[in-house]
Amino acid sequence: MVVIKNSVIRNIIRIGVPFLLMPAVVAVGVFVFDDKSYAFVSLAVALLSCVLFVAGFEKKRTGTGRMALVAVLVALTVTGRFIPYFKPVAALTVITGMYLGGEAGFLVGAMAAVISNFYFGQGPWTPFQMLAWGMIGFIAGLFCDILKRGKLPLIIYGVFSGIFFSFVMDVWTVLWYNRTFDGSMYLAAIVTALPYTVIYAVSNVFFLLILKKPIGGKLERICLKYRL
Amino acid sequence: MTEYSEYNPIVTFVYFLAVAGLAMFIMNPVLLTVSLLGSVVCFCLKRNKGEKANVLIFVGLFVVLALINPLFHHNGVTVLFLINDNPITLEALAYGVTASVMVISVLFWFRSFSALMTGDKLLYVFGRFSPKFSLMISMALRYIPLFAERSKKIKDARRAMGAYEEENLWDSVKGGVKVFISLTGQSLEKGIITADSMEARGYGSGKRTFFSRYVFKKKDGIALVLILLLTAAVMAAKMAGVLDFSFYPAAEGELFSVWAVGAYACYGVLTLLPLMSEITEREKWRYLRSKI
Repeated sequence: MVVIKNSVIRNIIRIGVPFLLMPAVVAVGVFVFDDKSYAFVSLAVALLSCVLFVAGFEKKRTGTGRMALVAVLVALTVTGRFIPYFKPVAALTVITGMYLGGEAGFLVGAMAAVISNFYFGQGPWTPFQMLAWGMIGFIAGLFCDILKRGKLPLIIYGVFSGIFFSFVMDVWTVLWYNRTFDGSMYLAAIVTALPYTVIYAVSNVFFLLILKKPIGGKLERICLKYRL
Repeated sequence: MTEYSEYNPIVTFVYFLAVAGLAMFIMNPVLLTVSLLGSVVCFCLKRNKGEKANVLIFVGLFVVLALINPLFHHNGVTVLFLINDNPITLEALAYGVTASVMVISVLFWFRSFSALMTGDKLLYVFGRFSPKFSLMISMALRYIPLFAERSKKIKDARRAMGAYEEENLWDSVKGGVKVFISLTGQSLEKGIITADSMEARGYGSGKRTFFSRYVFKKKDGIALVLILLLTAAVMAAKMAGVLDFSFYPAAEGELFSVWAVGAYACYGVLTLLPLMSEITEREKWRYLRSKI
């Protein structure tokens, strides 16, 4: 494999690409395509924010053990997505975010989206799924103290993340089909997706309540045992 | 020319990015029809047996998507009929059909993309930018079949202990959760062992090297240049406004100007590249065999 050897150039690409490319992409979307091509701009911004996050992760020195744990949790999340209808994807992402920190939560959500789509079908929606699940994990990391305290915050966050995921994906659905954002169409998309939103929310709450103690406890124990 | 799945992953990736990207962001009825035809041809080249049901879903989706737009948008000058005092216009219907051609063709392109760009190929393309991220992805990809194996072992052990699952839903859910939890505990511990073993073998002590069986050959370069030239030609036509077509209030824009037809031709060649490489390869093979 060709690896860019010069570390200076690599860093310039890593940092420069997202920061320069994001405005550049918006500009291209406005001038080259129709000035109303929000679909293109939103897709590019979703993709680039994932790139930005990975770039930040790449620069940090992360322990090998932590990386292995994240890889294990990603694989578990992907296997969880094969359960019909009630999927523990968001719940596992939230638990990772709570116990291993927001960054690990984002990585698990985003990578689970990429990898499970090898089985469920890649598409232009992949970056949005990465971003939505990643953000769910990241926010869980920010509020880990509150979420660990009791059942009620956990239930609220489970419902919130189900609705959040559904709403983000519907934004993309409308933009893709309609090119510009259309309020009435967005409302219709939300209403038709309502059964799925309910299933997301219910399964999030269900799996969070069931899995928080055993899996969270195991993560806590392993971090203590190996001083991660 | 080789069979199109045998090209370097970079070429395959750029190809699908170009062909689907152009279809996604250029709202031109003729161009999108070309895209749909090309995507179906490409899809049929590498068709799996179980894909027939998917095609039926796509047809249904096409009809639904085509009909949604006229129900929501009522601008357009040619009124077909009224529903609840809301005019259903020809222009809105035309836009709906065009948009659904776009969506379906992109879905077909991504089906072929998923079939061709397996995990290792995607890692080859992106690994150079982010060694850590791609390492984690390749580890996770390996874990998935491994976990299936391990969870079967755990299930068998539970059965041997006498934890039979009853034929009701709650019991099987409870059993599944228990298997999942013990799989998690076991795999986390084993993951740490993997990490220790990696460090013992020197991971992170020097520069990362990669193993890959893909080589960038001359024919990959030729194909890449060809793809980029054709894409640039279509993009140039788009920027020059040749491909502009607006639906509202009345359909406006010349679909078959000389330049536009040129752009369609370029895009058509682009969409048929997989078919062409497949045919050349087949003919070459037949020729070689007939010589023997």
